[in-house]
Amino acid sequence: MRSFSLIDFVSLFTALRWTVALVVLALLFGAPLALGLAMGRISRFAGLRWTMAALIQVIQSVPLLGLLFFFYFGMPVFLGIQVPALVAVTVAYTLYTAAFLGEIWRGGLEAVKQAQWEAGACLGLSAWQQFRHIIAPQALRLSLPPTVGFLVQLIKGTSLASILGFVELARAGQVVSAATFQPLLTYALVAAIYFALCLPLTLWSRSLEARLDGSR
Amino acid sequence: MALVEIRDVHKTFGKVEVLKGVSLDVEEGEIVTIIGRSGSGKSTLLRCINALESVDTGEIRVEGQKVHAKMPDLKKFRQRVGIVFQAFNLFPHLKVERNITLAPLLTGRIDKAKARALAEDVLTRVGLADKIDAWPEQLSGGQQQRVAIARCLAMAPHLMLFDEVTSALDPELVGEVLKVMEAMAKQGMTMILVTHEMGFARNVANRIVFMHQGRVWEQGPPAKLFANPETPELASFIASAK
Repeated sequence: MRSFSLIDFVSLFTALRWTVALVVLALLFGAPLALGLAMGRISRFAGLRWTMAALIQVIQSVPLLGLLFFFYFGMPVFLGIQVPALVAVTVAYTLYTAAFLGEIWRGGLEAVKQAQWEAGACLGLSAWQQFRHIIAPQALRLSLPPTVGFLVQLIKGTSLASILGFVELARAGQVVSAATFQPLLTYALVAAIYFALCLPLTLWSRSLEARLDGSR
Repeated sequence: MALVEIRDVHKTFGKVEVLKGVSLDVEEGEIVTIIGRSGSGKSTLLRCINALESVDTGEIRVEGQKVHAKMPDLKKFRQRVGIVFQAFNLFPHLKVERNITLAPLLTGRIDKAKARALAEDVLTRVGLADKIDAWPEQLSGGQQQRVAIARCLAMAPHLMLFDEVTSALDPELVGEVLKVMEAMAKQGMTMILVTHEMGFARNVANRIVFMHQGRVWEQGPPAKLFANPETPELASFIASAK
């Protein structure tokens, strides 16, 4: 046993790397996929709408832990492929992000009145131009608070990756706590770091909301 | 050849036949006002002219070109036929200038350097040059509708459709919108309007078309139609509209 020292402090912050890396990976692959799912959900083609809805339904219904287990432990069993841990978590967090962001963004897109599409069409704009210049900017503003809300969820959700051996913030907290026998101090610190990570996001979202809502 | 030729158009929504064989010609420079009770098919007919709805049978030609939702150059066609809606449908996230210049810029009608001048020009025509930097929601309903008209004018359309454009306005704001439309009429714009403004129909239109039960029931110059309606349906409509 040793007392809590600078080394423990450093190890917590080093572990923060993985927390951030997992969030970045999840967004990097998950956000484009989410956009695709959202657009599929509002498509003219019923088949596409149903497929996207079913996909989202399945992913949202499985606990994140279940997704992680499935891609890490399940893939070798079902498909006979050994998946590196990083690939497994990336896939799991990507799908998780895509499903939840996809639904959030679909809601935003649908909240923009149909007449806005029509007004664009009547001015001779293509469907993509209507989406890009008229619908998406309005939907973005509407979707911002829940999007940031999900981001905060995602940051905290990365703690589950510790199960597959990732020494991210939460797992590092466990290790430090076990070594120093100071769980209260350690976990308070871990909590503070999570808080420090999430708070700026919330503040940023609030200022962005005000800015995008230029008219007020 | 008339600018707009409508031949025996039928249109059904679900089980309701809204248009039951409508035929109508509109010449270039003409101001045609379509009147009639709610549900008589006025707005649907207007939306068909712009291919917002497709006709089931019959055909509509504008400048000789057959109109339908899958026409190959629909986007080009829509640039030539402007439509103004009851609900204005301005883009709330864009300032007045950008509302007007978005489509001309995206469709390549003008380049960036000329955008502001174009916005100023069309806004002057609707009497709102000082509102170029305003947000839509800072404007009154009447002003928003005039911006919507200016947005259409910026595409330099050959034909303009007005779908009950004053119906959502407070009574005291109707006049300013009608005045703008009257000025456009004087400049020779071909216009087809659906309206409940009988005064405007009487004073500005060249021709009144009375629609009833999905058909053109009666049409003619306003003076004749209002003074001597031939059908009891029009007579009772005029009486109730007063």
